[in-house]
Amino acid sequence: MSVQSSPAHRRPRKRDAAVCEIRHVSTKFGSTVIHKNLSLTIKPGEVMALVGGSGSGKTTLLRHIVGLTQPSSGEILLFGESLNNASREERQRLHNRFGVLFQQGALFSALTVFDNIAFPLRELKQFDENTIHTLVMHKLSLVELEPQHAWLLPAQLSGGMVKRVGLARALALETELLVLDEPTAGLDPDRSEKFVKLIKNLRQQLGLTVIFVTHDLDTLASLADRVAVLADQRIVACCPIADLGKVDHPFVRNFFEGVHKRLEQLESGKQS
Amino acid sequence: MADAIFHIDADETGRKRVVLTGRWSLRAANNDFGALQHQLASLFSDPFLQWDLSKLEQLDSAAAAMLLTGWSGKVDARIALKPEHAALFNVLTALPAKDSKAARQEALPRWWQALWASWLDFTQHLLDFLALSGSLTLELLHLFRHPRDIPWKEITANMVKGGVMALPVTALVGAMIGIAMSYLMALQLRKFGADIFIINILGLSITRELGPILMSVLVAGRSGSAMTAQIGVMRVTEEIDALTTMGVSQVLRLVLPKVLGLTLVAPMLLFWTALWALIGGMVVAYFQLGIGFEFFIEHLPRVLKPANLTIALIKGVVFGLLVALIACHFGLRVKPNTESLSASTTASVVTAITVVILVDAFFAIATRSIGI
Repeated sequence: MSVQSSPAHRRPRKRDAAVCEIRHVSTKFGSTVIHKNLSLTIKPGEVMALVGGSGSGKTTLLRHIVGLTQPSSGEILLFGESLNNASREERQRLHNRFGVLFQQGALFSALTVFDNIAFPLRELKQFDENTIHTLVMHKLSLVELEPQHAWLLPAQLSGGMVKRVGLARALALETELLVLDEPTAGLDPDRSEKFVKLIKNLRQQLGLTVIFVTHDLDTLASLADRVAVLADQRIVACCPIADLGKVDHPFVRNFFEGVHKRLEQLESGKQS
Repeated sequence: MADAIFHIDADETGRKRVVLTGRWSLRAANNDFGALQHQLASLFSDPFLQWDLSKLEQLDSAAAAMLLTGWSGKVDARIALKPEHAALFNVLTALPAKDSKAARQEALPRWWQALWASWLDFTQHLLDFLALSGSLTLELLHLFRHPRDIPWKEITANMVKGGVMALPVTALVGAMIGIAMSYLMALQLRKFGADIFIINILGLSITRELGPILMSVLVAGRSGSAMTAQIGVMRVTEEIDALTTMGVSQVLRLVLPKVLGLTLVAPMLLFWTALWALIGGMVVAYFQLGIGFEFFIEHLPRVLKPANLTIALIKGVVFGLLVALIACHFGLRVKPNTESLSASTTASVVTAITVVILVDAFFAIATRSIGI
């Protein structure tokens, strides 16, 4: 497929700049504290998983990162800039540099698959319809969908296809950062494995940085470079998945037992 | 300064060539491919020009697709590429061409085809409406035999939502219409010295015509649209399917309470609206023509025969029934997308108001000799 220059080569000026930097973020809903002085840095090219129990604020943190909500205090920098303080043009440019895949896909239900993927390209107002057609077809082939799927409406798609189209839309503008909310939720094990493989492929081809939230241990074990564990309103651990065993925290210990088994399975699977 | 740069020079053999350098990528901040395409347009059209892309730092699919469009979809020998970029172009040229889409777009239908399609659509609507009315009747018969199944709570909830909550707005609109009518009539009647007839005119026109129409329009806008949207969203979110799988009849649980509720509450709402319209008219009659409140109230029963109230009552029942039925009919036809939801809600309100006015005209003809 498309071979491009390596990610390190891609942004020579800001080679070491963090893709996403969460600085001392606190979030309160009324009197409920969700995050307390939480910090996390995501480096270019890495795949970071956010895990934590239900209600631990993973999705809230994700919504902070993509600018849908704002933390009560602290700041979040994307590519070294804050979404909130940027001017209109800068903010638009920042928005074009990341793509979001929502849990339910969030496809525009009145538009066909083609128009859904073409939407961000048309918004950019830099390409004519012929170019957009080529690009949409390219994105469809990237997410391993057939050209004839382009003319279906979102309601006619299966759950796995909705996720793929959502991914294609998120990637339409050659995004650098991909934010995934529960990428494999609602998919059967076979489809979810294929979807994880797809994300891994794309990450290599396109030099993506990925942040994702998941409950699924298989997805976590096969996709994540590093795991950030949210518990007690903060990040209690942020390390490669193999090092989670050294962390002494009740949630992590509990969680790691499950992860450990998957890792062993994964290892034995590689050897055989 | 853009990150994507090109210049024109001559190669070793003296042929003119275009050299692309820099970062031809959407990820580079300062690129505007629209402008680039415009600048390159004259170069694209030159078939003998050489293209040198071997010094490119970066090329993404967006830039490649833009160039490919310029070269009319072909990469040939006059274009020098890096091997990795050649692979990208191979992928892009292998994609299905655009005319596969053009083939899909059918030719515009001729006028008679369009006419035939809308006739089919109309008959389909009628059939569906008939089917809905039929299943509603069946459910009613079922309720007669099994009174325990009557959804009292839902019916009363719909009466509160469609009737009680509508009291302020119908009162306000009714009073305003009464005031406007009374002003207009007062000026005309005073010219003829027929001041007293304002009571006849207001009493008859408001109870027989204006009250029912006003009430129906308001109810169609308020409750009808809400019913369509509610049932429509329930279809979109598969809630109706969930009800069906639980063995709960969607007509019994969703349609019937709405229809019964609105049918029961509409006549009451009608009299409420008419009452306020008469009050508005009475106040203006006092100030404009000096007709006292007591005289107005005393004289009204003499000119407004009870038959008029019966007609109003029947109209209220029929109009409430029609508005609710039409709203439910359109709600059940919503397809699972936002466009269909908005179209159906609009169609529901417009159809309800149109049908109510049509039926009102029939009423006017059928009851022309009664109560006047």
